[in-house]
Amino acid sequence: MIKITYESFDLEKEFISISSVSNGAYSFFLGAVRSDLSSSNKKIKGIYLECYEELALAQLKKIRRRALNNWKLNECLIIHRIGKLDLGEKIVLVITASSHRTKAIEACEFVIDSLKIDVAFWKFHLLGNDEKEIVLQKNSDGKKMLKWKDIIN
Amino acid sequence: MNIKLKYFSWIRVKLKKSHDLIEFDQTISFKELKINLISKDPVFQEIFEDKSVKYFLNLTEIYDENQKLNNGDILALLPPVTGG
Repeated sequence: MIKITYESFDLEKEFISISSVSNGAYSFFLGAVRSDLSSSNKKIKGIYLECYEELALAQLKKIRRRALNNWKLNECLIIHRIGKLDLGEKIVLVITASSHRTKAIEACEFVIDSLKIDVAFWKFHLLGNDEKEIVLQKNSDGKKMLKWKDIIN
Repeated sequence: MNIKLKYFSWIRVKLKKSHDLIEFDQTISFKELKINLISKDPVFQEIFEDKSVKYFLNLTEIYDENQKLNNGDILALLPPVTGG
């Protein structure tokens, strides 16, 4: 299941939506808006997430399919929020479900690593008084993805 | 023919708009479109010189400057993504 939404989500509800007696392991990743400083050392008040929705959905489907196939998962759920989010709010949820924990954990890490560099979302820091700062991609996110090259078909 | 351009992140901010609908008399290549856009707004020069910007034609990334564009195509200009 894949969802891009302006609304928040409920962890228990999403877990129930994919739970099954054939799953012996679930791995969760939850990304949230953290208190941070802008590049000009201003405290951020929140974030704004922009999205090219048609493309992001297609990209998320491709990542999900690769995770399902490569780790033989039973299920993979991805939810990503868009729009204005306050500090502490949930941004993204990934749940992978498998018979055993190793596959679920690895696949969950692959999904969030891929999402960071391959899906059409863009963050802005909100600094107050309608001021926004564009968040730049980190080199470390691209490097992290290299580890999956030999693992993923 | 009409081509819709979509702009995101810093490109949208620099151009002060999220999209454009451009009309041409005949089929053009991606390279010809770039030249046309630069002649209308020098901001496009900066965009096209930035090697990190990706181009998606009808949701598929394009690499070939000679790629032909057709009526109704949607071309998106995307800076590096920062979701998650």
